[in-house]
Amino acid sequence: MGKKKSVVLIILVTIVLVGLLFISVTPTFPVKSPYNFRSLLSIVDLGSDLGGGYSVVYYPEGVISAEQYEGKVAQYEELKGTEDEISDPSGEYVAHGGVYLSQEILEGEEISETFLAEFDSAYAAVRSRFEGKNFTEYSVKLQDDYTIVVNIPDVSEKESVSTLFNSFSYSGSLLFTDDAGHEMAGTSENIKSAGVVGSGDSGYAIVINFTKAGRAAFSEMTGAMVNSSSDSSSSSSATMYIRVGDNDLVANGISVTSQLDQDAIYISGSYSTRESAETVACMINSVLNEDAIFTRPLTVGEIYSYGPTMGENAALIMACVVGVAILAMIVVSLVRYKGMGLAHVFGFLTYALALILCISLIDGIIVNIAGLLAIVLSAAVMCAFNFYAFRNIREEFNTGKTLTAAIKSGYRKSLALTIDAHIVLFLASLVIYLIALGAAQYMALIFMLGTVLSAACTLAVTRFYFYMFLAQPKNKIAFCNFKREETEDE
Amino acid sequence: MSKLLSKKGLFLCMAIALAVIIAGAFIVGFVGFNADSTQKNFTTVEISDFAYSSHDETVQKELYDFCKNEIGSKYTVNDYTLLEGQTGGAVLQFVVSGTPDAAFCASLKDAIVAKNIEGVSSELVTVSSHVLENAPYYNYIWRTAVAAAVVAVILFAYVAIRFRLGMGVATLIAAVHDVLVMLALTAIFRIPSGVALAGVAAFGLLLSAVVNMFVFGRMRRDFRTEEYKNKSVKEAVAQSLNNSKGLVLGLSIVLAVVIIVLGVIGAIIGTDLTFLAIAALISVLVSAYSSLLLAPSLYALIKEKSDAVRAEKAKYNYSSDKKKDKSAKAVEPAGETR
Repeated sequence: MGKKKSVVLIILVTIVLVGLLFISVTPTFPVKSPYNFRSLLSIVDLGSDLGGGYSVVYYPEGVISAEQYEGKVAQYEELKGTEDEISDPSGEYVAHGGVYLSQEILEGEEISETFLAEFDSAYAAVRSRFEGKNFTEYSVKLQDDYTIVVNIPDVSEKESVSTLFNSFSYSGSLLFTDDAGHEMAGTSENIKSAGVVGSGDSGYAIVINFTKAGRAAFSEMTGAMVNSSSDSSSSSSATMYIRVGDNDLVANGISVTSQLDQDAIYISGSYSTRESAETVACMINSVLNEDAIFTRPLTVGEIYSYGPTMGENAALIMACVVGVAILAMIVVSLVRYKGMGLAHVFGFLTYALALILCISLIDGIIVNIAGLLAIVLSAAVMCAFNFYAFRNIREEFNTGKTLTAAIKSGYRKSLALTIDAHIVLFLASLVIYLIALGAAQYMALIFMLGTVLSAACTLAVTRFYFYMFLAQPKNKIAFCNFKREETEDE
Repeated sequence: MSKLLSKKGLFLCMAIALAVIIAGAFIVGFVGFNADSTQKNFTTVEISDFAYSSHDETVQKELYDFCKNEIGSKYTVNDYTLLEGQTGGAVLQFVVSGTPDAAFCASLKDAIVAKNIEGVSSELVTVSSHVLENAPYYNYIWRTAVAAAVVAVILFAYVAIRFRLGMGVATLIAAVHDVLVMLALTAIFRIPSGVALAGVAAFGLLLSAVVNMFVFGRMRRDFRTEEYKNKSVKEAVAQSLNNSKGLVLGLSIVLAVVIIVLGVIGAIIGTDLTFLAIAALISVLVSAYSSLLLAPSLYALIKEKSDAVRAEKAKYNYSSDKKKDKSAKAVEPAGETR
């Protein structure tokens, strides 16, 4: 590579890296009001351990919170002796831990068997619905025996948290219906499963796969819907509703213009994010299991947000730790390998910035503590393979080869292991991503990205930078921190 | 030069590892892992204030300090979470040891009202205590276990094909050893852990794959050179291990340092992080030990055995030749000549 070309490339690469570094790590600052500049790191989705989340309490019918009870008492005191006097709450409710149980769910002093059975199935259903969402981490807890507390990571930028909590509280079975009373039961006899697919510009679509019997029943129902609609009005379009109990899963219904005789239907238009579509698909899948259908309505309590479970500012502090570790690595590599170290620093920055770009911009990546370990491991692997190549170059140089020959030979020697290790790591993380759930799955996704970037940066980018820098110095051997022992000819 | 374990030492290490794994499995089977703050059952005292966000920070802090002191005078406060509502209210959730009853909650509410903190009134504050019981879910554990098993098989197959069969076996054993020993030690020492432990196990598996690839990759390269052809198996393995030791140790030390720093920070900001860092640190230490000692020793043993079998097969079998000659003579009819 010529000196001029090398200078131009060095300037260009430096400008690109500095620009990327700026948009990646600069703290948020206000630009033209009311807008703020937000760095790529600040838009990375975090798990509840690093970014906090949301919490809600589900109250089954017949159970109220202490706040609600005190409200009723206050209302009773206020209306006492007036025409609108209400019954005394102390006679209607019995305290149980931090909640109050209505007399209607009690049989004497005991809880009625019917309530217990209904609550147990509601509890199981809520657990299975949240498990189906595959959060990085979440918890479903039983509070005071008869209420359910759910904690989930912060998903507010991807879907409405209140819609999510409300949807997962729906009781009853699945039904496809319209205003004219045509119906099809959404049972496992008619529906195989529900899933989410991308639908181009309109965001995401829910796909509902029918069984053979379900396809016939759905065809018959939609045919009847369209016919009855054209009989009653000039329009041949009917509105179909997908309901769980009394609640519509798809807001405003779905327009049906013709008889639909197909294996699957796609519902799109209302889902701009995968997560919002997933919530509906999860609900449909959950009620296909007859054991997960419950009848007692659940009331959703107030939704609260909470801080990171690993401690306040956990993500920021960890980012600082990783930053300091990177600085230390840069110093060590520059001191130990000089010019090669410089190429490594540029290669590493390319790798790190590309990884930040991927993590912040690719939908569905959530960083939790396991994800952070994956980032650290993948960065360490990238550094280790660069140093491995440098060591091979040094060894080759020490055998008496010229610098150019030593570089070629050193890289050739490290090629096989570098490719093998990256293939194995990629396959391993791919398998974990495809099979595992929760923290391990998200961790594997991050590691998979890191492995691909590490392979590219180790095999090509760092080497390219090395040649780019090597065109500049006069004493290339000293630039690489090598020493050639002069042997005197006799 | 690196030293390898003797046959006895290797079996002793494997036996200890097996004992640790079995002990860990029993503990997990009978009492499970020690749950961290996100997964364990606990009792809380909750002070909900409907006007929390309308108070300034001084009032909020005064309310928090007062509640903490009042609760702390009777129960041990283990943890605190501020739950902020979307309508301006908030819940100050204190995790306590013991079971505060309705009388305590009523007395705490009276005390808060009597304290006369600006803007905090009896109409807007409710005090209640709750018992929370976690519903553990295991789906993610068995799915991660299946994934880890498939990864171990892929690791073995790849290393066995691209490197050598013995190296594949050693890598497989090391990977399984590393993950199981880390999980067993986490269970035995009752290190609190939540769902992220599955992620740490996956981290351990990938780390084990990396460091073993370094060790065996170097061996594959070294064993092709003339220098290594005349050495005994143990000498060759030990010398090659010496060449890759620096890189493996460097990688392990860097990871260990980052994890230790995270653990120390965790001790300051949130103990769950410290516990997870301890599990990750165990993973790094076990991987370093197995890649620098266990796996090479195992490979040396396998290679010695396979070389011995190969040498045995390659020996010229004089006795069978004599037998063949005898039987040929016996078949020849008398007086016949070739």
